[in-house]
Amino acid sequence: MPSVSSPNTQPEPESVPALSVPTRHRDNPLTRSKPALIGFAFLALMFFACLGSLPWTLSAADSSVSGVPRYDTGEPKSGRLPPQWWPYDEIDTSRSIAAVDKAALAQIATAHNSTIDEILDGSNEPAAKAALAQAPAFILGSDTLGRSLAVRILTGGGISLTIGICAAFISVGIGTIYGAFAAYMGGKVDAIMMRIVDVLYGLPYILLVVLLAVASNAMLDEYQSRARTKTNWSINQIIDTQSLDSGDPLTKSEARIIFETDAVIQDELMLQAVQIYPRRVFSAGTRTTLDVLTLLIAIGGVSWLTMARVIRGQVLSLKNQPFIEAARALGSPGHRVFIRHLLPNLVGPIVVYATLAVPQAILQESFLSFLGIGVKPPLPSWGNLAAEGLSELNTFRSHWWLLFFPCALLGMTLLAMNFVGEGLREAFDPKRSR
Amino acid sequence: MTQATTQPAMNTNKMTNVPLMEVKNLAVSFDNGSGPRIQAVDGVRMTVYPNQTLAVVGESGCGKSVTAMSSMQLIPRPPGRFDRGEIIYRMENGEKVNLLTRTEHEMRSVRGNEIAMIFQEPMTSLNPVYTVGDQIIEAITLHQDVSAKEAWKIAVKSMDDVGIPDPEGRMKAYPHQFSGGMRQRVMIAMALACQPRLLLADEPTTALDVTIQAQILELIKDLKATRDMGVILITHDLGVVAENADVVCVMYAGRVVEYANVYDLFDNPRHPYTRGLLASIPKIGTEHDRLITIDEIVDNPEEFKKLPGADKGVTPWWPWNDAPDDLVRLDQPAGDYCLQEVAKDHWVGVWHTKGVVGDESPAPQLHYRVVDNA
Repeated sequence: MPSVSSPNTQPEPESVPALSVPTRHRDNPLTRSKPALIGFAFLALMFFACLGSLPWTLSAADSSVSGVPRYDTGEPKSGRLPPQWWPYDEIDTSRSIAAVDKAALAQIATAHNSTIDEILDGSNEPAAKAALAQAPAFILGSDTLGRSLAVRILTGGGISLTIGICAAFISVGIGTIYGAFAAYMGGKVDAIMMRIVDVLYGLPYILLVVLLAVASNAMLDEYQSRARTKTNWSINQIIDTQSLDSGDPLTKSEARIIFETDAVIQDELMLQAVQIYPRRVFSAGTRTTLDVLTLLIAIGGVSWLTMARVIRGQVLSLKNQPFIEAARALGSPGHRVFIRHLLPNLVGPIVVYATLAVPQAILQESFLSFLGIGVKPPLPSWGNLAAEGLSELNTFRSHWWLLFFPCALLGMTLLAMNFVGEGLREAFDPKRSR
Repeated sequence: MTQATTQPAMNTNKMTNVPLMEVKNLAVSFDNGSGPRIQAVDGVRMTVYPNQTLAVVGESGCGKSVTAMSSMQLIPRPPGRFDRGEIIYRMENGEKVNLLTRTEHEMRSVRGNEIAMIFQEPMTSLNPVYTVGDQIIEAITLHQDVSAKEAWKIAVKSMDDVGIPDPEGRMKAYPHQFSGGMRQRVMIAMALACQPRLLLADEPTTALDVTIQAQILELIKDLKATRDMGVILITHDLGVVAENADVVCVMYAGRVVEYANVYDLFDNPRHPYTRGLLASIPKIGTEHDRLITIDEIVDNPEEFKKLPGADKGVTPWWPWNDAPDDLVRLDQPAGDYCLQEVAKDHWVGVWHTKGVVGDESPAPQLHYRVVDNA
């Protein structure tokens, strides 16, 4: 029924339609990108798991067997076992039971009125089941030497991530300083510095890494064995004795020929030399650390080229910004303009490139380890775990877990890092679409 | 009227009697890669006194900024090069120095401390990653031996001086939180925090709207008077010149074509180019189908025969004109040009003919509108 309004009442004021205000996108551009967020969560998990477990995985598994770290502890008898949640076939079962301690096996045999042989060939099923329950189980399976793949992947992840991050830091550090310096100086300095980069770009980086790794290895070996010191000492001995005998001193090259041709003298002198210059002994940990250090310096040392170019471009455009000129007009000395006014403006590209350089470095490390010139066994890394897994892959018995898990984790970590890097790049990009 | 306001003799303040900076016969050229060097300025002469605003006007590329930047040695060298001339600056202790020959280290004590500069683009002249407070404090600590607390106080005071409300709070703001006018005020606060004796304002108001422009210029004018500061105001805007300048220097193609005090120049422009500039300003109340262009005036040969002494062969210098026949060429790039005092306190750039006396004319000196401090 239509309402009859009295003439006295005011007409109902029409409600003003609410203006539709577009909702503001004030949220953090980094968290707005879902892949970046998921990637970040995954990375955080990975870092926590791999780096957090390093003290545990690197510690000795058994205090009685000192020196063997947990990642290297295993029983060859229980080698190549699939993940415990994976259905075992007959061979897996029998090998798994075979790995059970003999005393425990005997105990089970007596409990089930059976013999050890019956349990081993599976003829007494309940006894075999009981034995299987006591068998070593591995959450991600075990490798050829019966080491837990899970522990090795955690250790390998810790090593790979550490190398990746450190190498990225080194490459970003060198690249930033080099590129910024070249651009800031400008002119001939810039031209020469960037031509050097061009030349290095032309060389295959893997060759450089291999060269660096080999050279540093040789240097470490020389440091340990002191071969050159010993040879020099021997040659000097020859010169001394000869000059005492005849009063006619030999030249160095003559003495060297005697040393190299006369095996008897050589052996005798070298025996003496070893007494004076004993072999320098590194602990296993020191040598491993030095190897890893070499590797990350090699990777960092060759991957700064892109960074140098990126930063140079940024500095070239920043250098002509009025605020840099304004800083000079205020009387700031050159180095102060560089450090205080130029570098802070480079934080954006540096952060973005660093996040993208980490996965690159990890990939390079894995690649080198895969080729056998990176992290040396028994120390695991995702790369040499994958290499090991690949060699175990064959047509009649695929030990798939050995290849799958390291590769999956490596792939997922790289993907997550790239997502985060992309998210950061977008967040720093002033021209990003809203 | 013009003569009445010019009272150089009635100068009670001794300091204002001495030139603050004299640009003498300055020539700067730039390397052009393969081509010949580009002569940005040549034979430029000007003088600034304390408490005086010298406006430098001219079109883009005529050498205004190069002259100003040269006095701070902010010209990138190479490609730039100082060919000739000197810029004599009287330091606070009375010592006269040539700014062109100082080392980079020596220049640092001049930049910001003795001579400050305000740049054209307030939007980009502040470092986006620091708060404005940080940047003003940096300017202070670079030249003054003060504690952080004192520097903070000086910075707040200078922000207050340039009319920024709530200076304490704004110290912590970043440049992007400021409007263009506010940023230009910050730039001025930065420039003035060290009490410079000469301010180079390179188109300080070009990027701002007219209201803010008026405020900023008024601010510079006030500070000039209260601090007895010399100002070189570089601008395109003849309105700004008329309002703010004491002395005007008109430049064209790297040369000073006319130099006079502001009333003289506007009432009695002597050089055809200046006449062209003034004629091209549209005036309210007059109707034109189209506005007068500068070309119309400088293309007219008759315009070049109006200088006093024209009968003796004194012709205004102009790069497009054929040089007069009786040109006395000197063995220098700008040898055919010189700045000549054609009337009292009124200099015009002329061809260096036999009718023009002297080849080493001094920098034009004009005391103007000396403030009676008594």
